Amino acid sequence: MIYLPIAEMTVNVLLVLLVSGSVGFVSGLVGVGGGFIMTPALIFMGVPAPVAVATGAGQIAATSFSGIMTQTRRKSVDWRMGMLLSIGGILGLSSGVWLFERLLGLGHLDLVISLLYLVLLAGVGSLMLMESLAVLRGRATKGVSILRRPARTIAHTLPFRMLFPRSGLYISVIPPLVLGFGIGALAAIMGVGGGFILIPAMIYLLRMPTNVVVGTSLFQMLVVTSVLVVVQSRVTHTVDLVLAALLMLGGVVGAQLGARLGARLRNEQIRALLGLILIVASAKFLWDVVIPPQETYVFGGGVW
Amino acid sequence: MRGALALVLLLVAAPADAQQPSAVAAPLPSAVAEDSISVGSDYRGSSITVFGFNPDRRGRGDIVVVVRGPDEPAVVMRKRRVFGLWVNGNPVRFVEAPTFFAMMSTRRLDRIVPPALIRQYQLDPAASARLGSTVRYGDPAAYRAALVRLRRAQLLYQEHVGVTTPTRAAAITRYPGGLFRAVVRLPANAPIDRYRVDTYLFRDRRLVSSARLEVNITRVGIEQQIHELATNASAFYGLMIVMLAIAVGWSAAVLFRRN
Repeated sequence: MIYLPIAEMTVNVLLVLLVSGSVGFVSGLVGVGGGFIMTPALIFMGVPAPVAVATGAGQIAATSFSGIMTQTRRKSVDWRMGMLLSIGGILGLSSGVWLFERLLGLGHLDLVISLLYLVLLAGVGSLMLMESLAVLRGRATKGVSILRRPARTIAHTLPFRMLFPRSGLYISVIPPLVLGFGIGALAAIMGVGGGFILIPAMIYLLRMPTNVVVGTSLFQMLVVTSVLVVVQSRVTHTVDLVLAALLMLGGVVGAQLGARLGARLRNEQIRALLGLILIVASAKFLWDVVIPPQETYVFGGGVW
Repeated sequence: MRGALALVLLLVAAPADAQQPSAVAAPLPSAVAEDSISVGSDYRGSSITVFGFNPDRRGRGDIVVVVRGPDEPAVVMRKRRVFGLWVNGNPVRFVEAPTFFAMMSTRRLDRIVPPALIRQYQLDPAASARLGSTVRYGDPAAYRAALVRLRRAQLLYQEHVGVTTPTRAAAITRYPGGLFRAVVRLPANAPIDRYRVDTYLFRDRRLVSSARLEVNITRVGIEQQIHELATNASAFYGLMIVMLAIAVGWSAAVLFRRN
């Protein structure tokens, strides 16, 4: 048992390490960021939602740094694109933190977090389930996705075009900035890295080559979550150092172990199972906001 | 055994007070076993032990002990159904409400004192919570009751009635000779602050004597440093967490690459 100084509660160290370790393991195994599983897991454990969201960002920073260490060796980061996405991300997270604080004051933060997770988990979960079932049935072959890459996108037609040598692109700076902004805002309010949106958008919208997508998205996540941790510490005082350290430890070790095993494993069954778990978790969020509550009164305005 | 020490001190001090007639609001001999409680990384809540002495030779009178944390504003909201979703609404602001409130009494409070005195001495948490403005939505009493109910569920508001008997342990224990002891358990989520301990002796529905003591709960060691940083040097605190993230991420990457 350890006392969390900011959350002002006592948690079981082994339980937190176990949860963060398994979330990290699963995310490493399947190749998704852990944020959108970790934050709900913390909320279900009784950590106040604002603390869970803000502290989760620290863990994502650790995981992305550990990922970037292996990715940069393969020269797989488009630094110019990464910087652009990060600038958008920092603007986005500033608005996100502002909204976070407003919602906390109004007493709606928990509901908004629940609703966003409800949509997110249901969406990502069903996509994962459908895709892996399709692969399992042999309809899609390895490396070919359900979506087809368009030849030209809006990124090619908008003004303020710029050359991205590493990606071999000459596209407008507006889509990366807008994309980064959205990811940053999502990170601030939900405590997610946003890879599940960023990576498909980089592939299908920006048409970046797949070999730089993962490294560049990790770079953007590292910058955004690092800045986010500092801003949340300063503005909302919801980042818990002790909890963050435990999450980083469990998450990073779990992710490395998971990635190791994932490389040697055909993981469509696991992806299908994870998709199913995410759908169940989203149903839990739905259940909590739809069923008549036993207690109709709650504390509001930052008192949780 | 500071508890034992307090007990001895009380017994020594007691005869002098026992001589006094039962004048209204004479000081009630009492002491807390711990003047301060330290919160470290292994903190799992604590308890406050109050000792006191009832000078009445025949042991008449009822004892009420109130332990309360600092008053702070609180907002209570009511959930409403909006498009099938339960949304928080109708906020009501309490200008001040005790963040912690434990009342221990030898008998039910309404048997000991009239309602007017419960309000006057703030012997129950609802009596101490002060509403900010007129309540526009519904019943102010319902919000007051909800505040007490919510805090009670978090073990921040407690009521313990009764005296320890050979078969049942209670918050208040009476010892032969007039000594009594009251123990209250503070959960880990109780605020880390200065607590006020009030002991009252009531007889014939009137106050005979009372005393006010203080207990300080303070963070020590690393918990203190973390809290200090997080509040006074929050940007540095955030940077520290980022550094930690980079260190953890880096060492994991290096460690697992070599394996």
